[in-house]
Amino acid sequence: MFGNRPWKMAVGATAIALLASGCSGGGSDDTDASSNSVIIGISEPQHLIPSNTTETSGAQVLAALFYPLVDFDDQNKPELVAAESISSDDNKVWTVKLKPGFTFSNGEAVTSDSYIQAWNYGAYGPNGQGASYFFERIEGYADLQSVDPDGEDGPQKAPEPKAKSLTGLKKVDDTTFTVSLTAPFTGWESVMGYSAFYPLPNAAFSAPGVIADGFEDAIVGNGPFKMKGTWQHDSQIEVEKVDGFKGTVPKIDGINFKIYQDQKAEYADLTAGNLDVQSSIPIESLAAAPGDLGDRFQKSPSSSFQFVGFPTFQKEFQDVNVRRALSMAINRQEMTDQIFLGSQSPATGFVSPAVAGYRDNVCGENCTYNAAEAKALWAAAPTAPKKIQITYNADGGHKAWVDAMCNQIKQSLAIECTGVGEPKFADLLTKVEKKSPVGLIRLGWVMDYPLMENYLGPLYGTGGSSNYYGYSNKKFDDLVAEGSKAATPEEAITKWQAAEDILATDMPVIPLRFGQNVYGFSEKVSNVKVDTQTRVDLYNIEVK
Amino acid sequence: MSESITAAAGPSGAPMMEPKHADKRDKPRSLAGDAWVDLRRNKIFWFAATLVVLILAMAVFPKLFTSADPRDCILARQHGGASGSALFGYDFQGCDVYARTIYGARASIEVGVLATLLSGIIGLLFGLATGYFGGWIDAVLSRFIDIILGIPFLLAAIVLAKRFSSDSNSNGVVAVTITLGILGWTTAARIMRSSVISAKNQDYVAAARMLGAGPGRLMLRHILPNSIASFIVVLTILLGANIASEATLSFLGIGLKGDAISWGIAISDAGSYVRVAPAPLIWPSVFLAATVLAFIMLGDAVRDAFDPKLR
Amino acid sequence: MFRYIVRRLLQMVLTFFGATFFVYALMFANQDDPIQALAGERPITESVRQALTERYHLDDPFLLQYWYYMKGMLTGDFGTSLTGRKISDMMEVAWPVTIKLGLIAIVIAAAVAVTSGVIAGIRRGSIFDNVTLVITLIILSLPIVVLAPLAQLIFGIKLGWFPPTAGATPTFWALLLPALVLGSLVIATELRVTRSSVAENLRSDYVRTARAKGLSRKRVIGVHVLRNSLIPVVTLIGVDIGGLMSGAIVTERIFNVPGVGFNLFRGIRTEDGPLVVGFVSILVIVFLVVNLLVDLLYAALDPRIRYE
Repeated sequence: MFGNRPWKMAVGATAIALLASGCSGGGSDDTDASSNSVIIGISEPQHLIPSNTTETSGAQVLAALFYPLVDFDDQNKPELVAAESISSDDNKVWTVKLKPGFTFSNGEAVTSDSYIQAWNYGAYGPNGQGASYFFERIEGYADLQSVDPDGEDGPQKAPEPKAKSLTGLKKVDDTTFTVSLTAPFTGWESVMGYSAFYPLPNAAFSAPGVIADGFEDAIVGNGPFKMKGTWQHDSQIEVEKVDGFKGTVPKIDGINFKIYQDQKAEYADLTAGNLDVQSSIPIESLAAAPGDLGDRFQKSPSSSFQFVGFPTFQKEFQDVNVRRALSMAINRQEMTDQIFLGSQSPATGFVSPAVAGYRDNVCGENCTYNAAEAKALWAAAPTAPKKIQITYNADGGHKAWVDAMCNQIKQSLAIECTGVGEPKFADLLTKVEKKSPVGLIRLGWVMDYPLMENYLGPLYGTGGSSNYYGYSNKKFDDLVAEGSKAATPEEAITKWQAAEDILATDMPVIPLRFGQNVYGFSEKVSNVKVDTQTRVDLYNIEVK
Repeated sequence: MSESITAAAGPSGAPMMEPKHADKRDKPRSLAGDAWVDLRRNKIFWFAATLVVLILAMAVFPKLFTSADPRDCILARQHGGASGSALFGYDFQGCDVYARTIYGARASIEVGVLATLLSGIIGLLFGLATGYFGGWIDAVLSRFIDIILGIPFLLAAIVLAKRFSSDSNSNGVVAVTITLGILGWTTAARIMRSSVISAKNQDYVAAARMLGAGPGRLMLRHILPNSIASFIVVLTILLGANIASEATLSFLGIGLKGDAISWGIAISDAGSYVRVAPAPLIWPSVFLAATVLAFIMLGDAVRDAFDPKLR
Repeated sequence: MFRYIVRRLLQMVLTFFGATFFVYALMFANQDDPIQALAGERPITESVRQALTERYHLDDPFLLQYWYYMKGMLTGDFGTSLTGRKISDMMEVAWPVTIKLGLIAIVIAAAVAVTSGVIAGIRRGSIFDNVTLVITLIILSLPIVVLAPLAQLIFGIKLGWFPPTAGATPTFWALLLPALVLGSLVIATELRVTRSSVAENLRSDYVRTARAKGLSRKRVIGVHVLRNSLIPVVTLIGVDIGGLMSGAIVTERIFNVPGVGFNLFRGIRTEDGPLVVGFVSILVIVFLVVNLLVDLLYAALDPRIRYE
């Protein structure tokens, strides 16, 4: 049945297979054809359809492929890019006029319809687009959503929505269209700078309202770069310059977006010179980064805001003095210095320095480390718990600072404190929804558009999309709404600042840190900037 | 502990079950008795046993070894060097590395030993049954092992850990132990099976069968002692692997919870900062390696002592 | 022999269904909120949640979901992941690179473990024996979440012997370092088992007989002892593929290999049932085939074992 020494044969066969497999993998060291291109590290984007792109990696790739209506200057004020003008008399009906002569990289002209059909697709509920909430303010949004008559778990399927297109979008001519909002919103121009508002060519659709098969893997945009080949999932996305691009022309000829599963691996490649830009260096590598990279290790403001929330369903946190005491028990400066090595800064307010209207030290003494005062407050509070728990998601690298924060609370208040890790953020949310006693909840926020409102409404408004702790304050809600309706941006900021002041006295969350982009680049490139949304500025970067 | 497996399920139990078969010509001495005589003369056995006792003492009475509080962590002391008060210096959080290493013994030993014991028992039963009976029992049980092997460890661990750790007050030791125990027995079972298959075809087994020995006696007295060697080796290694696996689970947020202290957690926490401060990584690793070494030596010595072929 | 193989192949079909069912059930049990898991920390609007729930049949009962899945798979369609990608496409990228990685790891681990295990087994208590013991213990005591980055740091960055990451289409050289790390997971067990079974076989009757016959020491060890000692080792290599796969989950991430381990990790994290079950289905087939081969190898290594 077998030869004399079958196991030798087996070993031999494996060795041959191994050699063969080793050899076949050899032909992949593709040297870049043009030397004027850069390699930028990203993680695998979830989607590349603009209205379905909600994470940084996808947004980074789209920033190369698309040309937005507006972009933001250094003060995060909107400036016109693809739009010639954006105007409104009442902040309710906005008229967008496009710069003429622009085309998609497949030659199709960019028209009002390119925007209208893309936005309709994004807003249509059954398409399940992740960024569809951006279109919420446009008239007719509700009619594009279907309501399940017997709730999500019921047997009945949801009926088709009443309409397929937003009544608020009207084409005036080929380069002009109007956007009507359900209520006046002074910051609408800024909102339209987000990637969900990119246009799509006719080629994207195989039928009205249906994205063609395979379009996402070879997406066509109106930007300075076009896809070279298709999206090689989990491996790379290559883009090259569009010849004769009408807008601002970047200084590089092409970009290879190299996909990494893990930021530490990305950092290893950066130090080994296999990668040109890493837009976000992981905390574990920070200690070594200044030595490894020298002045190629840099920081820039980002929009992220880290905080912990108090679940309102837990009675022990209903006393404001308990919340204040915990906030004062934390030494934020020590945490950012020792744990984050200065890559984040202590938060003294609820709105990031990345937006207009930010004020220093809004939170005042409530966010200032004062162990003695904290202990006194704690002792005076009748409902103060003996034990504190901080729940975080273990997949986000939060353990180190949560442990440190617990140690600080233990030191300051002489109570017990434990950090409890849940595998994923979704598990944490499930527990919060079930009203399990999770204790303090670790949370973070990255802005969608650079307005104060984005740090207030979704997080603390009654029924806000990310208000997981259930904070509700009528006066706060009113101020946020008044700000949104205000006639001028300045007036809006005044209202929103008043709303922020309410938070500073109520302390529904403990503000901890404002994030920074910590990025690094290779010796090959210069002029590397990373914007507040952690995207590399592709128009300025240069190859030396 | 690996020696207790041999003691409980191995040959030492057999003579008590069937004392009438004992040799009557001289003073009856069981296999276990023989082994004890052997062991007493073995220096390695005494060394390993001392080490194991020391580690167990550390796990049960950590206060004997240190007066420092392992949970007393001050960020300002981050990565502070060794001193009289902190023998091994301080870690990233400013905790005393020596105190944490001593206190970490308990959870690590509990998880390692109990999970290995659980795996050992399941593996022994499955291995014996599949290897000895063959036929459809082997087919069914072996394919069951294949199914267990096919399940990604991480997935099963997440599901099990979630189910077992619904109690928010537990520190997760039971959940991790059961998870590792339930998932770790397949290697031991397959090893046992292969040894049993080769042992049951030996002449002395055929001889014993012809003399009228039943399956129970054949398995316990003849096949088991002759096929246990590789099994014990696998278990002692598994012990070390389990202590390390606990770290991986804790790292993923499905292991020990809250402020639990273990070598695994210490090692995976310190791994990120090894370029800045290697001491918090090295010391728990040394203790973990020494523990595994002690159990491996003990396992080797006990196995040698019980091995009938050596006598 | 032939009948045995046919019987095993038939068993395989049943095992295959058993395993996919089991894994699907586990995924289902693990599924709290896959849509939120996919979105990470972003809030999800009610209508998006509803649309996705319907698209991926997430609100259907378990058996119905499994039925949809099996129906697709039996017609060669592995379905789409929750991110909308064809799972068969994902497998085309993932499997080749993981098979390469796994093969290199197995061969290196087996070669090192058997060679040093035999030497250690022959010279028990020697310096070589003790040194290998200590080295394997050190490797064993470092969890792979520490070992892999450490190896990357030392050999990939500091010494520069290997590229620090491998990527989707790596060279043999780029895969060597992750394979070494992966192989080190199983090396300890393989080495110790080889050592102990060599030591045991050295004392057995047939070795004494062979020696008495006047065979050279080389031949006694190289043919008789080695062949008999390999049974448990071969078994280990068969089951270790499982260990390698869970190790691959960490190793592939750290060395940026978009292989099976990475896809499993991603699927488990995002509670992506079809993705995980698709990969596991193939994985189970691999296990079944390998363990059949291992069982056949028993008979080849030990003529006393017969299969009818």
